[in-house]
Amino acid sequence: MAYKPQYGPGTSKVAENRRKQMNPSQKLEKMRDVTDEDIVLILGHRAPGAAYPTAHPPLAEQQEPDCPIRKIVTPTDGAKAGDRVRYIQFADSMFFAPCHPYQRTYLESYRFRGIDPGTLSGRQIVECRERDLEKYSKELLETELLDAARTGIRGATVHGHSLRLAENGMMFDMLQRSVLGEDGIVRYVKNQIGEPLDRAVAIGKPLDEKWLKAHTTIFHSLGGVPYRDDAEYIEYVQRIHSLRTKYGFMPKE
Amino acid sequence: MTEAIYPQVRIVSARFLRPDTAEQLLNRLVQVGGILRMSINGPSIPETVPYGPARGQPNPHPDRKVIRVGDQDVQLRVQVGTIILELEDESYIPAICEAVDEVFAEKDFSCAVQQGRYMKTRPTMSDYAKYGPDADREILGLVDPRRKDGPVIIQGTK
Repeated sequence: MAYKPQYGPGTSKVAENRRKQMNPSQKLEKMRDVTDEDIVLILGHRAPGAAYPTAHPPLAEQQEPDCPIRKIVTPTDGAKAGDRVRYIQFADSMFFAPCHPYQRTYLESYRFRGIDPGTLSGRQIVECRERDLEKYSKELLETELLDAARTGIRGATVHGHSLRLAENGMMFDMLQRSVLGEDGIVRYVKNQIGEPLDRAVAIGKPLDEKWLKAHTTIFHSLGGVPYRDDAEYIEYVQRIHSLRTKYGFMPKE
Repeated sequence: MTEAIYPQVRIVSARFLRPDTAEQLLNRLVQVGGILRMSINGPSIPETVPYGPARGQPNPHPDRKVIRVGDQDVQLRVQVGTIILELEDESYIPAICEAVDEVFAEKDFSCAVQQGRYMKTRPTMSDYAKYGPDADREILGLVDPRRKDGPVIIQGTK
């Protein structure tokens, strides 16, 4: 029988959302339109329209060592062109953001190629070749993985994911990269590291509370789905915990 | 950091306040009177970008602004989340609760008034090491006593 990945345990809605995001055969819902130029502006790695700076000559122009792995693995577009490695980093509010750091790393590993994700408690960074990064960023920004108010694109000074929301529902950001306008549309006025942009980049309206609670991948005992209510998830985590603890003692079975 | 035990209350809103809401709330509290010391807490909004490649660049932030409380201008350096008050006596607490309810009546989030001990009563070992024996005991534990700009003093009516 062919192997069929399960992506994750759990019977709750949150677990189901997590599996949906991780499963590459499930198409993520598109929520907004962000142009390629807007993405380049938010990332702040190069000027829009500028050529991609390179870290090495294109693979076609350089002598590759005779390596069996290189014959198996097709290089990504960015690797083929010799692009620099660049990053995008996200902070997700604990108040029902649609995604969260561990989840991001899992889903990126399932969905994208040639990436190096870094997971921390309050932020998640993904590094890859610049050309690929822009392609992946588009997917991360345009789909249901991002909420304009509760997800922050923050390259540095990420503080805010575990704090109360602001009066207008935005996640706290000491650099205030994104601003909620009078018309209800969130605009990035600074790039991800906090440098002011020449023009504001609109990324749409924040999603409503009801939608967020139905699509979140975060367990939350106050107002959301409590972790303890998902018995299957608890059982799975306890099994992993128990097995890895026992393995520390090298059991002979 | 006084010898006598004065009652203290903490005002915690469910969301961070905009400067104009904070201004409105603080002015309403000042009207109630009976406040000996007040501290405004919340996450810092720095003047310049503190970390990362853009470190040191100016950080324009609409919420870092000067508000008018009583007869004084107050420079906000934080996004207001908690307000700690030290009162003359407990008789002011119901009026403070009333003032808070009044300000938050039209908001779609709540705000709690809690009573307890929220300010330091004596310097810790670290305070002694950092600020020495002559640190201003009135503001120690609330703000850095070495800051050049001292506390804002709002004149009462007594």
